[in-house]
Amino acid sequence: MPPAAPMGMPPQPVKDDIETTWNYLQQGVTRIMMSLQEGIDLQTYMGIYTAVHNFCTSQKAVGFAFQSQAIGQSHRGAHLLGEDLYKKLTEYLSEHLRGLVAESRAHADEALLAFYIREWQRYTNAAKYVHHLFRYLNRHWVKREIDEGKKNVYDVYTLHLVQWRDVLFHHISTKVMEAVLKLVEKQRNGETIEHNQIKQVVDSFVSLGLDDGDSSKTTLDVYRFHFEKPFLEATKVFYQNESKQFVAENSVVEYMKKAETRLNEEEERVKLYLHPDIAIPLKKACNQVLIADHSNILRDEFQVLLDNDREEDMARMYSLLSRIPDGLDPLRTKFETHVRNAGLAAVAKVASGAGDKLEPKVYVDALLEIHTQYQGLVKRAFNDEPEFTRSLDNACREFVNRNEVCKSGSNKSPELLAKYTDVLLRKGSTAIEDAELENTLVQLMTVFKYIEDKDVFQKFYSRMLARRLVHSNSASEDAETSMISKLKEACGFEYTNKLQRMFQDMQVSKDLNAGFREHMQGLGTKGLDSTYSILGTGFWPLQAPGTNFNPPEEVASDCERFARFYKNKHEGRKLTWLWQLCKGEVKANYIKNAKMPYTFQVSVYQMAILLLFNEKDQNTYDEISSTTQLNAEALDPSLGILLKAKVLNLDPGSAKVGSGASFSLNYDFKNKKYRVNLNVGMKSETKQEEAETNKTIEEDRKLLLQSAIVRIMKARKRMKHQQLVSETINQIRARFVPKVSDIKKCIEILLDKEYLERLEDDDIGYLA
Amino acid sequence: MSADKGIQKVTLTSNEGTSIEVDRVVAERSMLIKNLIDDLGDDAVESSPIPIPNVNDPVLRKVIEWCEHHRNDAAQSADDENDSRKKTTDIDEWDQKFMQVDQEMLFEIILAANYLDIKALLDVGCKTVANMIKGKSPEEIRKTFNITNDFTPEEEEQIRRENEWAEDR
Repeated sequence: MPPAAPMGMPPQPVKDDIETTWNYLQQGVTRIMMSLQEGIDLQTYMGIYTAVHNFCTSQKAVGFAFQSQAIGQSHRGAHLLGEDLYKKLTEYLSEHLRGLVAESRAHADEALLAFYIREWQRYTNAAKYVHHLFRYLNRHWVKREIDEGKKNVYDVYTLHLVQWRDVLFHHISTKVMEAVLKLVEKQRNGETIEHNQIKQVVDSFVSLGLDDGDSSKTTLDVYRFHFEKPFLEATKVFYQNESKQFVAENSVVEYMKKAETRLNEEEERVKLYLHPDIAIPLKKACNQVLIADHSNILRDEFQVLLDNDREEDMARMYSLLSRIPDGLDPLRTKFETHVRNAGLAAVAKVASGAGDKLEPKVYVDALLEIHTQYQGLVKRAFNDEPEFTRSLDNACREFVNRNEVCKSGSNKSPELLAKYTDVLLRKGSTAIEDAELENTLVQLMTVFKYIEDKDVFQKFYSRMLARRLVHSNSASEDAETSMISKLKEACGFEYTNKLQRMFQDMQVSKDLNAGFREHMQGLGTKGLDSTYSILGTGFWPLQAPGTNFNPPEEVASDCERFARFYKNKHEGRKLTWLWQLCKGEVKANYIKNAKMPYTFQVSVYQMAILLLFNEKDQNTYDEISSTTQLNAEALDPSLGILLKAKVLNLDPGSAKVGSGASFSLNYDFKNKKYRVNLNVGMKSETKQEEAETNKTIEEDRKLLLQSAIVRIMKARKRMKHQQLVSETINQIRARFVPKVSDIKKCIEILLDKEYLERLEDDDIGYLA
Repeated sequence: MSADKGIQKVTLTSNEGTSIEVDRVVAERSMLIKNLIDDLGDDAVESSPIPIPNVNDPVLRKVIEWCEHHRNDAAQSADDENDSRKKTTDIDEWDQKFMQVDQEMLFEIILAANYLDIKALLDVGCKTVANMIKGKSPEEIRKTFNITNDFTPEEEEQIRRENEWAEDR
């Protein structure tokens, strides 16, 4: 080959002779192929282009074309020339590439890579030139061939790629790939490599992905088969070996760190020099060999990490296992069990210390502590993932409803929770800031969410709310309202309906009292300084007193006046006096040594007893009993407190409170405070109340069940027994977890009452 | 688009050896010249003229005249055939006037446009010829282009039959 120099081209060939034309062209193409870096001069460039043009437009060739047209291609309007040139070029390229294949044998590994990249670049650069120089061929002959649907005819640039693929690539791609993989392995082993080389190989492989159907499009087929596949294979093998060895020599925690690093490295690798298409399969392959293949030992370690609170390591394990399908399920199961056990243990701990007198606050705090701890873990280590949150919820529901404390009765959790709210909302219990109170209420609601027997909570809550309202010792109205709106949000309007009515009653009563006072002033009557609360019978969990009572005259007349006033306003309403909730203050003017008179805060029963001593200093039990009409259950405790506080003295000769005993006023009464509260609830009373509440719960549940059943049947008219039971469970679950046997009993009751009828086939029908 | 390119002028040499200096944008209406400059670089065309061995001076000047007028047209899209342009034989006024030349010159322009790869000019040339044919009988066409009829009567009959579908009825 003559050295390439400007003007080095022979003169233009005879334009219609393929041999001389090609000889001329070949020199030019060779120069472009082999020594493009030396530059091509304008004459050569134009010379080649013109030679191609002239050949394709030569008259003789046209004549030749007409001959072939006569043979059978009559549909062609005009014949275009160029096939010979195209063939010659194809042959030339094959020849050139075969030469390269032979040359490549001298190289291996990195040298081969360098050789491949060098030749690829030289070749594709040349291809661009040749493509332009043969543009006339492209524009006419090639275009026509492609338009007519000929396969295996490509524009000149694509022809270069096809030839590279078919002649060179299939011979040496495996060896090139081996070199690539060796290089990558070197890098994985910590050496620095020329990763640009790999990127160029990737680009070359991608370029060779020609769509056979449409040469203007590319596919990744070649790249996938020749690069991606072996690359993934090698990656798998490498990490299989590495991880196996690493696990054998190191702890699981160490392995997780290693795996994490490796996974990040591979992601970086994709960005650095691989085709983005490999990202997903590569990740999958790595996940498989680095995580899935070791998932068992990872999971086994999880319990250890949980036990030792290794948050960071758990987070790492989470992020690793979340990469593989179903990787986290076993963790969730373990987590759930662990939280449940932790909750149970915490409850058992507080229960064993306190015995029967478990403080509601201690209990609720114990529940909350576990919840807070593991919610934090879910947030920090498990990415706040909803599935983990669900496992946490399941575990909490378990230990909140079924634990050591609840063994005596499943109502214990809602009861203690309600009591705790009472402690918080009651006046003067523990002084906490408003903001903190709100905060605590929010936390309470967390526990409330897990309570299954929400109806039990409601019962206790309304009872205690009633007490707070009646005795007006609620700490803050805002806090009360906030709590009720929280409950409403959690359980709906129906759940808090009665509670809200109670508030309303209190408000209405306030206005009523104002009205009454005005009324009294108008009349000029001077009554007691009294306040009345009108409580709607259906809404308040209160019962009429269990004893007769004959109120003292002073009280009775005031009550009378109020009753008249009220009846005047609301005709037809019946007022029942709840004496057991009434209280008042009496001033003791009789005590000798007092600088100022003592004030006794007393229940109306106690007031009735004390007022008797206005008449005489000594009264017998039987006298008191007959005047007040109180029965022993009400009278004895009331007297008991007065005796204990030494307001009254049990006369000598009386053994104990009861028939036959007599009492006298203690004129030497002494107390540090001038205001003495004698109206203290008695232990037995609250106990009794609790028992009562629990009893009414059972009753109410039956009613709730029955109404749910009727509602369902009214909508469905006819239903299978089994279906009805499960539907009822669904409806009622928000309030409590019903027993199937209870539901069956309720259905029986409704059948007896003829709300329902039994039909054939185990069906139940609705009777309107 | 060419404003930021290195050089603004190139010189073309016709096959008689006459040189014509033109703006680079004008010359680049020819895909051949555009590719050449892209491939060889600014330096190559700055110092030496670009030989155009297949086009003589008058034709080259004529072609350049057309390119000057169309210097701001949208760049020729790769190989995308613009259907609307292909279907109509409408030619804009300036181009019509431009094409009012003798037949020999017309064909020379078409050949040069084909060689230089100026698709729009090639289209205009072909449309002009098409308009010369339109509405004429074969005999008239022969006369127009000075063609001798070398078909035998039988061949003529066969062609007529094959193309019956295209007859205007």
